[in-house]
Amino acid sequence: MQRIKFIDRMAQGKISRREMLKSAGAFGVGMAVLPRVARAQGGPLVCLEWGGYDAAEYIEPYVQKHGGLPDFSIFSGEEEALAKVRAGFAADVMHPCNYSVGRFVNAGLTTEIDTSKLSNWPDVFPSLQTAEGVVLGGKVVMAPADWGNSSIAYRSDLIDPAFAENPTWEIFFDDAYAGKVSMLDNELVIQIGAMVGGMSYDEAYDLSGEALAAAAKEWGTKGVNTSRFLWTDPSEVQQAMASGEVIAAYAWNDLVKNLKAEGIAVEYAKPKEGLFTWFCGLTLLNTGKADPALAYDFIDAWLSPETGKYLIESSGYGHANRKSFEIANPADVEAMGITDPEALMASAILFRTPPDEVQVEQNRVWGDIKALKM
Amino acid sequence: MSARSVRTGLSLLSPAFLVMAATLLAPVVALVVMSFWSQSGFDIDRSFTLKNYTKLIEPGEGVVWYGIHFPFAYPVPAVLMIKSLAMSLVATVCVIGLAWPMAYFLAFRVVRYKAMWIVLLTIPFWTSYLLRVFSWKIVLGFNGAINSGLMWSGLIKAPLEFLLYNPIAVMITLAHSWVAFAVLPIYVSLEKIDRLLLEAASDLGDNRWARFRRITLPLSMSGTVAATLLVFIPTVGDYVTPTLVGGPGGTMIGSLVQQLFLRQDNAPLGAAISIVMMLIIAALAGLFLWLIGYGRMRRRIG
Repeated sequence: MQRIKFIDRMAQGKISRREMLKSAGAFGVGMAVLPRVARAQGGPLVCLEWGGYDAAEYIEPYVQKHGGLPDFSIFSGEEEALAKVRAGFAADVMHPCNYSVGRFVNAGLTTEIDTSKLSNWPDVFPSLQTAEGVVLGGKVVMAPADWGNSSIAYRSDLIDPAFAENPTWEIFFDDAYAGKVSMLDNELVIQIGAMVGGMSYDEAYDLSGEALAAAAKEWGTKGVNTSRFLWTDPSEVQQAMASGEVIAAYAWNDLVKNLKAEGIAVEYAKPKEGLFTWFCGLTLLNTGKADPALAYDFIDAWLSPETGKYLIESSGYGHANRKSFEIANPADVEAMGITDPEALMASAILFRTPPDEVQVEQNRVWGDIKALKM
Repeated sequence: MSARSVRTGLSLLSPAFLVMAATLLAPVVALVVMSFWSQSGFDIDRSFTLKNYTKLIEPGEGVVWYGIHFPFAYPVPAVLMIKSLAMSLVATVCVIGLAWPMAYFLAFRVVRYKAMWIVLLTIPFWTSYLLRVFSWKIVLGFNGAINSGLMWSGLIKAPLEFLLYNPIAVMITLAHSWVAFAVLPIYVSLEKIDRLLLEAASDLGDNRWARFRRITLPLSMSGTVAATLLVFIPTVGDYVTPTLVGGPGGTMIGSLVQQLFLRQDNAPLGAAISIVMMLIIAALAGLFLWLIGYGRMRRRIG
């Protein structure tokens, strides 16, 4: 792990030739003994992370303690990460969300988290400590870390003012916006379509069988045909919004924050059908090969107030640690609007996860609709 | 052939054969075996069943796709199969159309520095496949090279949106990705043509076109056929290109297999589709060779 610091110093030209030679010598000796040492310590920490979260800023205490980043593997959706782990990918830590952690638990891939090993746990919002998804079956399976929204981000300079006055999810199913919007590549499209059709989220989230097929035929197809592309990569949709290729998109808070910082006229809508909220966290997987202490250090780093401060200031997401809000820039905290996760969840629709077989059925139906697009 | 040369031949083949057995044969056998299993949720049921195969042809209400009626209960694989074959066919025709003149130029017009020309031809392939696909995304994109160029020249006012995220983008990208693979076999077959034959034809009164039609084209067929198959077979199952530049409308059969394995918890069905795909491609390749009379051609050349 020391090597990263060394390379940084080398790049900055801060290393003398003598130091360089010494290191090179040590490297040669090191190579001879390294395999044995490495085996004694267990493998490196392997973390399944969302794209963009694989940065040192989110785990500063871990980087300081261990001198470098763990090995990241990036995923764009939890089902993809789940399939990867089930296919034998030996990850130690995964970053699921309240609505998806159950899939990992049901697949028998998780280990209970011993919260006494997390120094930052006492500062986590009490409502999050006991929230469903953090605790499943009486066990803590996910240490809550970040929380935020899913809603419609739109270019206020390019969109029809009528939409800005009365925003609605209907925009993703409206022929007038065909080729100008981008939805997330997720079966959620069908659920949101059903909500536009008058259903409540509580009815729509676990649609199955005939009802699902009907909703998929009516709304899924329309959703697929209306979107310019279905996004899987946040930076892809961000670029498309910045260039004006799409003028409205399903988005998380950070997109709005990032584009505003670039001086682009973008707003985050409060659709009449409701905006969504979620919280995500870190889950210990039993497939890993690293020392569990490393995994606990990683999770604890994510829960630290410094990480929260960075999260709030750079992306506009909320953080699980109460102290984050005390040390973050007050202007950024105020820009978030709601800073108490409990109040946020009361004000918005919290994502839920359907039973495993329904989830798989929805995956299948969604895949089929996309495949049949003309 | 003497026993000794057979032995030498076999021993020369064996390293390649072992590698093939480990990396191709074994996975294919595993795939065949898996296609007779079934999966529910996270569990795989290892008892023998044919239901993955019957599911592909089970009659049902079906869908109408571009005017073609697919009367199946689960029409997605059939639709994607036809679509993939059609897209690959177009891409292959484009590749051959692009590669043939290049190979001809290389074989007949380039006299000096031939090796350098061949190296130049492979330069795009020094970057990774993924990077080449991404660069097409940049070329075809909303504010990409083509659109900015046309806007700058004043030919269009708003960017063209039909360039990316559709089957055309997939076919363009596939054609570009495979051109160099097609040039080499065609070049080799053209290079082998005895120049005396062409001179003789001229002496006997053939004009340029007749010479081309009666000598150059037939004698280059072996390379052209090889190039056609070399491009057509792998592109049918390609999944990276459709994923990156295709959007939902550009989906191909490889994407469905990937979905079945990784998102829909139905690896056995994915395996069955892969096997059927392999058989269909093999049958089509056989049909193609039979149609152009490849056997006759080989006997004549050999």
